[in-house]
This record gives sequence, structure tokens and C-alpha cells, in this order.
Amino acid sequence: MNYTVQVIGESVGKDGRKIIKVTKENFLDLMKDLKNQGFDHLSLITGVDRKDFMEVVYHLHSMKTNEYVVVKVETRDYKVPSVAGLWNSANWDEREQYDLLGIIFEGHPNLKRLFLPENWVGHPLRKNYDMKKTQYINMDEEGNDYATFDERGGW
Amino acid sequence: MPSSEWVELNFGPQHPSMHGVLRLKAKLDGEIVKEIEPVIGYLHRNAEKICEMTYFNDNLIYFDRMDYVGAMNMEVGYLEAAEKLLDISISERVKWIRVIMAELSRIAAHLVWAGAYGLDLGMLTPFFHCFIEREKLLTIFTEVSGSRQEVNYMCVGGVYQDITEKAIAEIEDFVREFPKRLKDIFNMLMKNDIFLSRTKGIGILDKETAISYGVTGPMLRASGVEYDVRKAEPYLVYDQVNFDIPVSYKGDNLARVLVRFEEMRQSLKIVEQAIKKIPDGPYFNPKAKKSLMIRMRGEGDVYARTESSKGEFGVYIVGDGGVKPYRVRVRSPTLRNLSVLPELAKDVMIADMIAISGTLDLVFGEIDR
Repeated sequence: MNYTVQVIGESVGKDGRKIIKVTKENFLDLMKDLKNQGFDHLSLITGVDRKDFMEVVYHLHSMKTNEYVVVKVETRDYKVPSVAGLWNSANWDEREQYDLLGIIFEGHPNLKRLFLPENWVGHPLRKNYDMKKTQYINMDEEGNDYATFDERGGW
Repeated sequence: MPSSEWVELNFGPQHPSMHGVLRLKAKLDGEIVKEIEPVIGYLHRNAEKICEMTYFNDNLIYFDRMDYVGAMNMEVGYLEAAEKLLDISISERVKWIRVIMAELSRIAAHLVWAGAYGLDLGMLTPFFHCFIEREKLLTIFTEVSGSRQEVNYMCVGGVYQDITEKAIAEIEDFVREFPKRLKDIFNMLMKNDIFLSRTKGIGILDKETAISYGVTGPMLRASGVEYDVRKAEPYLVYDQVNFDIPVSYKGDNLARVLVRFEEMRQSLKIVEQAIKKIPDGPYFNPKAKKSLMIRMRGEGDVYARTESSKGEFGVYIVGDGGVKPYRVRVRSPTLRNLSVLPELAKDVMIADMIAISGTLDLVFGEIDR
């Protein structure tokens, strides 16, 4: 695995997988590089809320050589470039992370919530999410779900 | 017909052929599906958040309820990651027990799929035959764990109770009788002209699209990629048993049906070898006792991938040195398999769309989590 992009560091994780840490500026170039080197399967995108910054973890896998690599990028303004143009599976994965963690993937073709209704307040997997506030879900005339704080407005 | 005159049709979420709570927004030109948009989230419980709030061992019941037809595959997937994070070793006997149970679960999950797929295409008979066989498996699960579907049999450090002689005898009976019954079910489906004409050459998924969408499991293998985590990165004792990966190069509905049926035969082969090879030993690592478990801390991050009945099931756990996981992320194979449906069901008849979505093997507990 060779790449020309400047990275912050390389290490090996507890599960024996190679981890590459990269800055947000070099991130997209690194991903393009890795895609060209045969990492054709983007297995998983994970956002980890580290309270003062957000860590986004990408698990890449090559179907041909069975290699595995983990790319980590940190963001303080909750914005990361989208990789939906490189791997189609990133489309729904990024939508899910946007839905539950509020990470904005810049350049995503259709960044909508995946599971929750569009007007849901807050992102549940954030560490500072207020779980005491109950939101109720109802359906509008179009058949789409919407969320409301009003108890009588829900099912 | 211009796109402004397309008719919008709403399927589900309470439609009998949607296997749970899938909602599809389809745009139709006559009977031809032009655009399709899956809407999911009706079974969303945010299991990942619940996992952050409970101890490592207690999370297992939420994993049981993800792929509820093949629950023990999920338990194996979670424990692969959790035990690595907590540095808890398991004995050889436990590894073999887990392999047996995971493979029996896989057969049970595929049987549910085979029965339900017959129903999708209007055949009622195979459904009952599949469920009679599945009932035998559930009896075995009851014998080992005391529960039928959401068994909660495994735990960090081993399994809750040792596998009994009676259970082994029941598994041996099942291994002896099942091949003939499977052949009957297979013939019921395959010797039917309607079934063949609705599966052959329909919903072709090519290799590049499948890989790009992250499709794994039987669907990927039906498109000609020989990728199975049990071979690619063997976990438990899968490197000590002899089995093959069924692959088809056609990529259509029929290929996916055939691959799943062959997988059941291969799983049976694994179980047959495993019950002969199962060694004596402890069934539980006392290091992971419940009272100690509360004090057990995990640090670092671990990703473990396993092969569930639907595809690559991955669990990514981040620990911050506390007694609860800091972040749990589940790679749901069915979510990615579903995301390819808009590509597959383009310019096909509505009835074929149902035939295609049936082969995706959707289980909503896992997609929505």
C-alpha cells in the first residue's frame, strides 16, 4: 500500500488492522488513492462523538487481495468531505451518520435523514443528546412521517 | 410516457410481501417501475445508543433482536469484537459449540427465507415444509438454551450452559434427516415452471455494482465474487472444518436461490464435522463471571467481521476504559443489500419487483436496528 498523500500517522489497532490518521484537507485525496489501489469495498463508516470533536472512521477492504485498512479523520466543525462519489455504499452510510450524529458530509448527493423523520430535533447518538425530551411521530397527508413534541399529535 | 405522467405508488410499510416494515415509493409507467425509493426506519430502536448505556455482557439481548431469525449469528458477531476488546479467551469447546449453533441458526434463517420467498411468488406449500424443519431446529435451541428464537445463549467468556447429550443426539438426528427434507423443499420450488420463469434472468446484479454498493453474503456470491468471511478471515474454528463456498456467475434471482440452498447443505456439512470434533473442556471462562464483568474495562477500538446468514456482519466497538462501551457500531449486511434495490428494480414489472426484493432476504430488525 503506497500513497503519496501526507498523513498524520500510522499504527496497528488492537484487532491487528492498520490504521491511517489523516487531516481533513488531505482526506479526500487519500481515499481516491486507496480506491485506485484496489480498495473497492467500503465496509463501514462510523462517527464517534469524542465530545469536543468528531472522529469519522472508514473501514476499507479489498475484495481481490483481502487487505484491510482503517482511515480515521477528525473534525471539529462536524463537516467531512463526502465519498459517495467513490463508493455507492457510502450514500446510505453517510445518511445514517448524518441522521444519528449530525455529521455533514459535504458534496453528498442526497443528504437526508435515513431512519428518523426529517424534522426530528437533535441527533440521538451525540453524547449531549437530551433523552428526557420525548418526541412523538405522526403521519402527514403525503404519507411521510413527522415528529412533534406534542403528546396529542402522536400515535 | 413522459415522466410527468408517471403514477406514484406506495408499497407498505404494512404490505404482506415486504417482509416486515419496508416502505417503497415507486414511480410507474403503466406496469413498469421507473424509479423506486426505499423508506426505512419504522423499526428503529437505536440499539447502538442502548448499547452505550449497558454493560458489555448485557448488550447481547439487543443483538439477538437484530437478525431475529438467525439470532446466534448476531451473538457470535458481537462476542468476536467484545472478547477481543476485553481480552477474554474462550476454550476450544466453546468455539466448537458456537460454530455448531451459528450454522444451525444459518440454516434456520435460510429456511425462513425459502418459505417466505415461496409465499412471495404465490406458493403456499413450501412455507409449511420449511417451518416444520425450522421447528426441529427451534427444539434444539430450546434444549440447549431454554428459549426458541431470541435465545441469548452465548455470553462473554463462553456460553450460559453446556451443550447436553440430548441436544447432541437431536442435532445428529437433524443432520441425518434434513438432507432428504431439503431435497423435497428444493424440488417443490425448482420443479415448478412458474417459479423458474419468475426467477430466471430477472434482477441481474453485476459484480462491480454489487461490490460498490457493499453487497455481501449470498447475494454477492450469486454475482460471482468468492467472498465469505469464514474463509477470508477465519474466526472461531472455521479454518479447521472442511466446507466450500457456493458461487454462481449469473447474478439473477435464480442464482441467489441456488446459492442459499447450497449454503444450507454446506452448513450441514460443518455441523456434521463439528459434532464429531467437539472436545471436552470448560464451557465458560470464570474470568468473565457476572460480578467481575461489571468491573471489566475495555480500551481501544476493535472491529470484528463475521459471516451471518445475510452477509458480512461487522461490529465496531470503541472503549474508553470504562465498564460500558463508548461507541458500538453495527455493520448491517441487509442495509447494504437493500440499498442496491433501486438499481435492480429499474424498468421491471411491479410483480418482478416483488420477486427481486424477496431474494434480498430482508430482516428489518437488522436494517433499522
